[in-house]
Amino acid sequence: MQFPIEQELAALIVDVLQMETDPAEIAAEAPLFHEGLGLDSIDALELALAISDRYGCDLKSDDARNQQIFASVRALARHIEMHRTK
Amino acid sequence: MRDGERARVQHPAGGTAFPLVGRDSDAVLFRAPGREFTCARFLADAHGLAATLPARRHVVNLCQDRYWFAVGFAAALLRGQVTLLASNNSAGWVGALAERFAEIGSISEDPDVKSPLPHHLISPAPEPAVAPNPAIPAERLAAVVFTSGTTGEPVPHRKLWGALAERSRAAALRFGVDPASPIAVIGTVPPQHMYGFETTVLLPLHAPASSWCGPIFYPADVRAALAAAPPPRTLVTTPLQLRALLQASLSEPPEAVISATGPLAPETAQEVETRWGIPVHEIFGATEVGSIAARRTTQGETWTPYPGVDLVLDRNEALVSGPFAAPCRLSDRLEATAEGGFRLLGRDGDMLKLGGRRTSHAGLNRTLTQIEGVEDGVFVVPDDLDARPSARLVAFVVAPERTGQQILGALRERLDPVFVPRKVIRVAALPRNALGKLSRDALRALQKSMGRE
Repeated sequence: MQFPIEQELAALIVDVLQMETDPAEIAAEAPLFHEGLGLDSIDALELALAISDRYGCDLKSDDARNQQIFASVRALARHIEMHRTK
Repeated sequence: MRDGERARVQHPAGGTAFPLVGRDSDAVLFRAPGREFTCARFLADAHGLAATLPARRHVVNLCQDRYWFAVGFAAALLRGQVTLLASNNSAGWVGALAERFAEIGSISEDPDVKSPLPHHLISPAPEPAVAPNPAIPAERLAAVVFTSGTTGEPVPHRKLWGALAERSRAAALRFGVDPASPIAVIGTVPPQHMYGFETTVLLPLHAPASSWCGPIFYPADVRAALAAAPPPRTLVTTPLQLRALLQASLSEPPEAVISATGPLAPETAQEVETRWGIPVHEIFGATEVGSIAARRTTQGETWTPYPGVDLVLDRNEALVSGPFAAPCRLSDRLEATAEGGFRLLGRDGDMLKLGGRRTSHAGLNRTLTQIEGVEDGVFVVPDDLDARPSARLVAFVVAPERTGQQILGALRERLDPVFVPRKVIRVAALPRNALGKLSRDALRALQKSMGRE
């Protein structure tokens, strides 16, 4: 992971979704959904809440449908950086 | 006759029929950001699509947008085609339908949707010269919905047009929907599942209600929908999403909430009623029979059946029937209460629910062991599954020649994503006893020994 926010986000994902993965082992460019971490829509909702709380960034379906955001930790981190209010 | 009131007609050929849309021509059926779709518009779009649909007997509706899903369903009905609801849209599951349903194809308005079946992409159609509102016989097979059986194979449930129309009417009666004040339904649930299909696609066709068709999943989407839709607004959602909305906080709540797909904690219902000052109702139903009862959660655990729903209890096993719906056994066990209502006693042990989806545990195990290279396997349900939204199933497999990732890939092709475990744990052997049975204790011991407890 290159940037601190990516490391923070990986740790947040593991924490909120109670995963057994070590955040340090999550590749920044690995897919989040379906493959890679294998997250699903329930996870998306839990994650959206945590991201809203932590970064003041509200995810919307229009953003998510723009597949780019959920393509990887890096992509999600980039979106948060652009829209965070905390 | 007022908008949405009874419009059961005598079909010219004899027998009962219901119009495709039992609403006034200028009634608003569907809403999207900046748009309203009236009954007249809907009929025009349905006829326009119907004219372009390939000849088929069965259509798998893979539309992503709620309005187009509804138009797709109506167009199929106009062409005498049966809509198959894909409760599981994995390619393997959808493709397998071709083995059981002849002359099958799929439709979608979204060019990114991939289908293993002959596929029709919905594109703008010429405005039809006429767009009548035909009376469709009650006995017409309108849709087939599926549950997951113990063999892992989908179990079909036939929905006749009359059953769907009557149930929408019953729901409107049950919730006191007033023709003078139509409700705006904002549903966070997908139209491909029975609950979403009934409340957000069928209801506007037969009752004074409009349905929101904009994107809707995250709290931010719900806020946008509430701001755009006219009161009275009813949020149709699930316990998981309701908790998320409480956490995210809504400055402008709806006028009513309906929750279904799983038990709503009374504390959550109370918090919503207190914080938002509105009533919270729950719907009880099952894919096999649709929505059949409702209750106001804060008033107690008793369910009251919808008008027209007939429940016969025999030693806590329930047989449910209704207009144009043959008797069907529920997998839930019920107990009758004094005033003609019922309480839930708990489910048939094989059924497990996760994220509002229901499946057969035995069916999951069958699916797992049928994967090439899997010699033995079992899904284990965490004890706290109901309490933790992030809880997932755990799978143990005996598969010396396959990797965990390969097996996960195979599962993703066959199962609803919510039932796919986060990882597959490969073991040398499952702790079966002399009779070949796996006990929960033996599995717990196995989990512990792998350091997963």
